Amino acid sequence: MVSKEVTLVNAQGFHMRPAGSFAAAMGKYKSDVTIKFNGSEVNGKSLMNIIAACIKCGSTVEIICSGEDENEALKEAVSMIENGFGE
Amino acid sequence: MLKGIGSSEGYGIGRVLLVKEQSLEFTPKTDCNPGTELERYRKAVDEFCIKTENMAERMKATVGEKEAEIIAGHILMIKDPYMNGEIEKFIEGGQCAESALTAICDMFAMVFSSADDELTKQRATDVNDIKNTVLAILLGAEETDISAAPANTVLVAKDLTPSMTACINKENIAGIITETGGRTSHSAILARAMEIPAVQSVPNATEILSDGDMVIADGSEGIIIPEPTQSQIDEYTEKRVKFIEERKALSAFIGKDTITADGIKVELVGNIGKPDDANKVVECDGEGIGLFRTEFLFMDRSSRPNEEEQFEAYKKAALIMKNKPVIIRTLDVGGDKDIPYLEMKKEENPFLGFRAIRYCLKNKDLYMTQLRALVRASAFGDIRIMVPLVTCVDEIRAVKDMVKAIMDEYSASGIAYNKDLKIGVMIETSASCLIADLLAKEADFFSIGTNDLTQYTMCVDRGNADAAYLYSTYNPAVIRAIKHIIECGKKQGIPVGMCGEAAADKLMIPLLISFGLDEFSVSATSVLSTRKTISDWTKEQADALAEKVLSAVTEHEVVEILKAE
Repeated sequence: MVSKEVTLVNAQGFHMRPAGSFAAAMGKYKSDVTIKFNGSEVNGKSLMNIIAACIKCGSTVEIICSGEDENEALKEAVSMIENGFGE
Repeated sequence: MLKGIGSSEGYGIGRVLLVKEQSLEFTPKTDCNPGTELERYRKAVDEFCIKTENMAERMKATVGEKEAEIIAGHILMIKDPYMNGEIEKFIEGGQCAESALTAICDMFAMVFSSADDELTKQRATDVNDIKNTVLAILLGAEETDISAAPANTVLVAKDLTPSMTACINKENIAGIITETGGRTSHSAILARAMEIPAVQSVPNATEILSDGDMVIADGSEGIIIPEPTQSQIDEYTEKRVKFIEERKALSAFIGKDTITADGIKVELVGNIGKPDDANKVVECDGEGIGLFRTEFLFMDRSSRPNEEEQFEAYKKAALIMKNKPVIIRTLDVGGDKDIPYLEMKKEENPFLGFRAIRYCLKNKDLYMTQLRALVRASAFGDIRIMVPLVTCVDEIRAVKDMVKAIMDEYSASGIAYNKDLKIGVMIETSASCLIADLLAKEADFFSIGTNDLTQYTMCVDRGNADAAYLYSTYNPAVIRAIKHIIECGKKQGIPVGMCGEAAADKLMIPLLISFGLDEFSVSATSVLSTRKTISDWTKEQADALAEKVLSAVTEHEVVEILKAE
């Protein structure tokens, strides 16, 4: 299992488009991807759960990946968030 | 005439097409064959995805990329591994596809709509839309075909779902009337993108109006007129033609600087009452916020908002405006604005009494809370503080001292704020006008509130019908006051703005250009027309007109001179 803390920098936070592209990107990996936010754990492959978590700009989240390709998954997850989902 | 919310400007005249609600009723079953139900469900989802993809493709052309993306997002939502997994789990347990779909969609819609965030709340509409569309496919329900509507059709519906809106042929749809929704609802955003007039939240519209009725939808005023008379139809047809011409002329000013005909640049910003309204200012191409009235935060509730709540509201406006100026006026309570839980005493002359900054400086804890929230929010954009109803230097000094104390505390405890936070004075009384030179030495900026300035200068209650004839910004006394205030600000080198109705007044604008006003703050819908008027004048022409106006003796003469131009 690997994990890293990142802060959301895009103005809209984890919304429709960012959450959609994030979930789709994570869906390619075999590892489980979890977003830890405000004490609760969110399935990082589920757009609906990410939206429901209501993670706004400026929030810090922990990304936890666990599985055979965990390092690659974490690397892509962190870079997507740090780059503000290309916004 | 029926009242609603005008959510897309313009005037729609035509015949009603009722968009009937499809009956999506079904009998829940819990003893289904999971195999057949799963197949039914998956087939429906496949059909949904194809339908939605086609719709998104069409919308790219009719309403734009961004809106099409939201619809395309519906595919991502229904294919979400978690949501899909839960629905299929229910079906595997023997439930029919309809029940399983409804249970999971309702669950997500509930979670989304209870979120403390406007964007998340809006997603609940998307979930409901997905649910209804898939249910309709499962049940084989028939939809009203909007795409085949004849020319001059006014759509009337309980609610217009994004998928219905996507079928609109904007050449034929003259207007939209719904029973629910408001300016920020999805259908409103689409209506504005397609430039179709819309009136929403009209109670019982689908019962009052029937297919084929004539109706007028006035999206600018937010009213509808069922079965209008011929003279009403003529009146609105004229309004409609004028509106469309103006919109066409104004669209040339989108994205342009606000400059006079001879190239003097001024600032053109918007007035708002809620943080969300900032979106409207952005949409209308405003260059910032010149007046954010904070009373809404305090009204329609039973106790005062805490610091956190206020901080979030101010921060939100700052983030929406992305480092453009946001002038926030501190609580302007009293006068005609009553807030019951503040327990303000009844007064003989409320406009001359214990209101605005007077009340705030006596109720320091209330004011401190607001200032603390403002200073904190200043870290997120170019927030500026504006103090209302100032009549003497002591008042602005007192506010500056309070802000200084808050900044010292925040510095000590490491809380971020803008060290260059500007504090300005709203000039709206005769007293502040007469000592504008003194106030200019204390304030970082001025903003002239012409509504109150007119009232206090002319000593007239605009609500009193017998005296209201005196309530006019064109009175020589008011014009001289405005000129004097701008001169005092310029002498001291501070910017002077105006946030009253006069700033958007075609007749007043040349005078304001001549006097040297730096910033015009107007309602969002007036941004482009104000930019156009400013572009019509050179400083020289404006000066020549101002000279004539300043030599006029009566209000009537002033108006005649201005109208002659």
